[in-house]
Amino acid sequence: MRKAIVLGAVSLIALLSIPDVSAAQAQGRTIGGVVTRAIGGRPVRGVTVTVTGSQQIAQSDDSGRYAILAPDGEVRLSFRAIGFSRKDVLVPATQTNMDVALTEDVFELEAVVVTGQATTLERKNATTATAYVSGEDVTKVTAPTIESSLTGRVAGVNLQSNSGAPGGGIQMQIRGNNTILGAYDPLYVIDGVIYSNVRIAGGRGQIDDAAFAVAEDDPVNRVADINPTDVASIEILKGAAASSIYGSKASNGVVVITTNRGQLGKPQVTLTSRLGSFSLANRIESRRFNSVAEAKARFTSATAQAAIDSIAAANGGQLPYFDLYNQVWHARSPSYELIGDVKGGSGATRYYVSGTWKKDQGIEDNTGFGRQGLRINVDQGLGSKFDVHVSSVFNRAFHARGWDNNCNNYACAGYFLAYQPSFVDLRPRADGTFRDPIPGLEQAANPIQTSTFAQNHTETNRFTGGVTVDFAALSTENANLKFVGAVGADIFQQQDNLWSPNDLFYERPQTLPGEAIQNNGVGRNLNWNLNGIFQRQFGPANTTTSAGLQFEERQLGTSRIRTQNLVPGQQNVNQGTNTTVQENFTKERTLALYLNEQALLSRDRIILAAGVRAERSSVNGDVNKYFIFPRFSGAYRFQGLIGEGSELKLRASYGETGNQPLFGQKFTLLNTPQLGGQNGFTLAGASGAPNIEPERLKEWDGGVDVSFLNGRGTFEATYYNRHTTNLLLQRVPAPSSGFATQIFNGGEIQNRGFEIVAGYAPIQRQDLSLLLRSTFTSNRSKVVDLPVPAFRPPLSGFGGLGVTFIQEGQSLTQIKAFAYDATGTPTATIIKVGDSNPDYRIGLTSDLTWKSFSFGTVWDYQHGGDIINLTSFLYIDSQLSPDYGTPAYITKVNAYNDGVMTPFIEDATFLKLREVSLGWLVPQRFTNAVGLGVRDVRLGVSARNLKTWTNYSGLDPEVANLGDAAIRNNLDVTPYPPSRSFFFTLAVGF
Amino acid sequence: MTTISILHSRRLLSVAALSAALVAAGCNFDIVNQNAPTDDQLTNNPSKLILARAATGIFSQNFTDVGGDIQIYTIYGREGYNLLGNDPRETGEAISGPQDPGGRAGGNWFAKYQAIRSVNTYLQALSSTVNLTAEEKAASLGFAQTMKAAMFLRLAVRSGTYGLPIDVDRPIDADPAPFVSQDAAFAYVSALFDSAKANLQAAGATAFPFPIAPGFGSFNTPTLFVQFNRALKARAEVFRATFLACGAPCWTSAQTALSESFLTRTGLPGSLSLGVYYGYSTAANEPQNPITEPLTSVRYFVHPSLAALVQNQAGGAPDARWSSKTRIVAVRDLNGVSSTIKPVMYNNNAGGGSVADLGADIPVIKNEELLLLSAEVNLGLSNKAAAIADIDSVRIRSGGLAPTTLTTGSADAAFVTEILYNRLMSLLWEQGVRWIDARRYGRLASLPLDRPGDTVFPSMIVPAGECDARGLDTPCTPPVSP
Repeated sequence: MRKAIVLGAVSLIALLSIPDVSAAQAQGRTIGGVVTRAIGGRPVRGVTVTVTGSQQIAQSDDSGRYAILAPDGEVRLSFRAIGFSRKDVLVPATQTNMDVALTEDVFELEAVVVTGQATTLERKNATTATAYVSGEDVTKVTAPTIESSLTGRVAGVNLQSNSGAPGGGIQMQIRGNNTILGAYDPLYVIDGVIYSNVRIAGGRGQIDDAAFAVAEDDPVNRVADINPTDVASIEILKGAAASSIYGSKASNGVVVITTNRGQLGKPQVTLTSRLGSFSLANRIESRRFNSVAEAKARFTSATAQAAIDSIAAANGGQLPYFDLYNQVWHARSPSYELIGDVKGGSGATRYYVSGTWKKDQGIEDNTGFGRQGLRINVDQGLGSKFDVHVSSVFNRAFHARGWDNNCNNYACAGYFLAYQPSFVDLRPRADGTFRDPIPGLEQAANPIQTSTFAQNHTETNRFTGGVTVDFAALSTENANLKFVGAVGADIFQQQDNLWSPNDLFYERPQTLPGEAIQNNGVGRNLNWNLNGIFQRQFGPANTTTSAGLQFEERQLGTSRIRTQNLVPGQQNVNQGTNTTVQENFTKERTLALYLNEQALLSRDRIILAAGVRAERSSVNGDVNKYFIFPRFSGAYRFQGLIGEGSELKLRASYGETGNQPLFGQKFTLLNTPQLGGQNGFTLAGASGAPNIEPERLKEWDGGVDVSFLNGRGTFEATYYNRHTTNLLLQRVPAPSSGFATQIFNGGEIQNRGFEIVAGYAPIQRQDLSLLLRSTFTSNRSKVVDLPVPAFRPPLSGFGGLGVTFIQEGQSLTQIKAFAYDATGTPTATIIKVGDSNPDYRIGLTSDLTWKSFSFGTVWDYQHGGDIINLTSFLYIDSQLSPDYGTPAYITKVNAYNDGVMTPFIEDATFLKLREVSLGWLVPQRFTNAVGLGVRDVRLGVSARNLKTWTNYSGLDPEVANLGDAAIRNNLDVTPYPPSRSFFFTLAVGF
Repeated sequence: MTTISILHSRRLLSVAALSAALVAAGCNFDIVNQNAPTDDQLTNNPSKLILARAATGIFSQNFTDVGGDIQIYTIYGREGYNLLGNDPRETGEAISGPQDPGGRAGGNWFAKYQAIRSVNTYLQALSSTVNLTAEEKAASLGFAQTMKAAMFLRLAVRSGTYGLPIDVDRPIDADPAPFVSQDAAFAYVSALFDSAKANLQAAGATAFPFPIAPGFGSFNTPTLFVQFNRALKARAEVFRATFLACGAPCWTSAQTALSESFLTRTGLPGSLSLGVYYGYSTAANEPQNPITEPLTSVRYFVHPSLAALVQNQAGGAPDARWSSKTRIVAVRDLNGVSSTIKPVMYNNNAGGGSVADLGADIPVIKNEELLLLSAEVNLGLSNKAAAIADIDSVRIRSGGLAPTTLTTGSADAAFVTEILYNRLMSLLWEQGVRWIDARRYGRLASLPLDRPGDTVFPSMIVPAGECDARGLDTPCTPPVSP
């Protein structure tokens, strides 16, 4: 297989040795003018102006002026800018002035989309479904992490948060579940650098005795480190034909993020400050006790009854009612964000520098999220042939996510509250001390005490940077040869410091009270690639051939020191008596060779693309074997078919991509039991798979893209059908083999669905415009072939309390539990009672601009899908459900007693008002009055997650207690409650 | 700004492309898993040190199921009960059935095969290494084969007439190994012990190239290890003679093996305990005695029917073995079964007290058992006088009892009864011999039943996982190849 590399290298060198035929530059003239907006006539800055068939490039300045050197004779100038349709104009010989007006590209049809390591295509020419979100949309309403701003804006993408805790913890799923036991995250690529999105559990689950000590830690996925304000655009490669350019890490889709870059012109400084706060969006009420007798019937111990009497006596004979959720999640401290950026450029240099300082205060005391960042992006031309692009960002993120979700020692707030009678006040005394829990009435804990004294802190420092070098080896009117080389690194260190002091009520009764954890994660991703791109124009055809080499190395080390039985008041991990340490290290290398071809034929009416990628990786059983991932796609554009300026495009594609085995799956490990003072070697129970291969996703998709009314309306529909074969599965061999489990490749799952994106701009006038966009997503999955008995995947739930169940012929997301049969008796085995996959999801975005005011909303609707509401189950268990005594309550109690889960499986349909924003661009006359070089001033007010309409009885229908699993399960176990946020924004440009 | 010469830059790029390709091609993709040792470190020309660690692993896996076998065999043979009450199967499935192939009755199986898999991997490692001398290899081979044969012997006892898979050293993707009959299994075990012996002898005077586990005491050279090998071989042949009525050939073979074992008639009673032990320890992370528990625990009890069997010494005191190995406590009654007798053979009984001793060893095989095996062999070969001498050496020196009343004219059945009584007292709660012996001599029907519906099982059954892997419904009886 080494032959393939040599071949790749030889072909690259062959490309490099093409003779230099750059034409001698003619005398030339300078063409100049002003670029303005077609509506309103305002100048447009940063427009890239090129002369067809020449290397000349220019950009318009703040007043829209440009000047470019052009040859004598008639030339074609091309004007393009983000957010505007490209405009090509012919400039007759001798003319030196050319003013142009650009029309806004409201639906971003001319944005470029990625088609290869170093090739792009305008979206209108794309042969696959595209999902493109501009940076402007991402930052319209401030979001803690970047994924939140995608909800409702892209089709085919499903997002789910683990809880409402500050600062992220979100799973993104593109076109369904495409694996059962493999990696399930999309691949993130930022400015060409492979970006780690790992979740590193900090260890909270070990302290609060969670059933799944790692998965229930509610860890943050590290995409939380990305600063949304740096983002210029997000593109999501959904289909295999698109994502296949990233080979065997791409079956879950690829998220390509491009950050802001500088523009020619004098430096433009923007200072933005946001001030706001988060507040509890929803809460669970607790049972109201109407009389002392009722309370005594529930709490029967002598101490409890005495306490009830004294509470009633102090309250005039009645039992008080305390809003417990508001006692715990009461914080409204101010949150803020300060952003400063400067962009500019002169000569061959362009730069973008930004700094951010963000602090989100959680609704529980001492919880929150903060992020600081400094980004420097520089583009530098070196001579006429070289362009160097440097991206670099340093981020620090701080998370304090509190103590929530499931736990078994009542350390977590929500779980505790499910057992807390509403007539007992949890708040501290005036002097800040807490009264002891009343035995028999309360569990041994107090969540306010926990949030006051316990510490669950995560700090992450991260550097991500890369250098791309473009070399224009050859450039003639009909041929272009370019080489692009890139190197990138993404390095982070996460440290968690947890401290559960001895004196906390839940620590006191433990054998080894007082616990501290120091957890570390160090990640390093390196990648480089080298590409040759050859573009040719002959007649009406335009072809691009690219070939290249990509290398990638990922490593992640985690370690944890845990100590118990701390010295009182001490939090360092050397201050306990019982200390355990853990370490884990993974490292993977992948090398890929690829060849891509794309052709625009018949004056861009026919677009064809094909590619093949060969990839070897250290995680595969055979590290020398190259796995081949092909793709083909094509599109045909009909122009003017449905009216003037309309366009209809039919497209179809086929692609294959993969999902690499997890690190270590190929190894059979040895256990090291101790005997006679030394460790021996014995075979572990799990057999590795020395021949393990990547999972393989094969997908057909097809669709139609329509643009009408001169680009004021757009409609895209896509149907896809994807099969994942060669799944990473686990089987149970005959026990006499000496192995308990074995990893192997086999089976097949299917996902198919519809995606629709539609947009309409009914009004587009100088002082009034309205833009409506909507997305529709519907996906169905099915287990087509399962060569092992039906099974519960890991982290699929809690036994009889409702679990995901992988079964041939069924959907991957079905929920099984005990239910009642037709005769009303509980079933003997678990049966299907629901499905966590929603029937469909709709997003609706509106943007209204009137004079200098803008108003935007994002609506998000999910229809169907089921939730396993174990929070409700806990309230039934404690007999403290707010609906105590009602028929609905009785139904649940009966089911609870029969071990039946049906009443706790609830519908997840919801409508959310995700984003509301109101902005005002302060009129120039006021701005000018301020002076100080102020260019413009914007004021805004925005809200996120303002309102939810749902029949779901729990806190939030979007919940995943066990989120860190391939098949997400809508499991609700007393999460950190959801919050809504309001922010005021002041942005000043200089 | 300096302009870079195009020619120069193209050469630069060519060099960059070529070196990148070479770097990528030369880059090491064989990335090891540093989180734990992997099997290829063992099977790919391992060093002497690594092989020694693997030998320690084999010793360590010899502890597999020791407690588990004692727990289930004592219940099956009414040698004792688990009356803790935390698991209803202890007084349910284990006593009255039906046997659950997915539960306890199908258990005590996988971990033994896991140990065998480790031995087979070690054998592979031995054949791939160049780091041992021929003698050291022979010594290692003899050791490993002995441990493997011992594990198969335990499996053959466990499964009885169901038989068991023997040919398990096959790739994991291959079909499951076929079941062979109990007879074929015994034949295999016997031959493997012999092969091990030959290898140990070929090692000559060389030392084992690995540390010997605690509990192996003086059997720490290949030459002395042969005596341990022969002792187990004798047990295997006696079991084969009785389980399968193979007759004189087995008895003779057992007799020869005994003569080459560490059986001794001198130094009694001190030499009764000579033998090989599971060497438990109270030190951190070492294996601990799985049976010992405080006298106050209500988990393990000796079956009350044993009290009636106990013979008395001349002075009227009960058999010394019984009084040292049991204590009377308050009655524990659970689900219709009860007892007042606690097993204390693994407790520290010094000073009249009895406390749990997690470091108490459990015999693998000891001289006391060899003397009684010799009695069985002599009976089998109709040397009744010699059998009486063997019986007496244990009765008198271990139990403090008077010589047996058996004469050379006594019936064989009376001999068997007396031998089994002594085996029960001498090996109480060490192997579950009451059940094993009742099966060997067809005396299951003589075991007491406490409640209506209770039953005595002739063997443990085939695990559900073996049925599943063969596409058979559970419970299953896979066909045996002869």
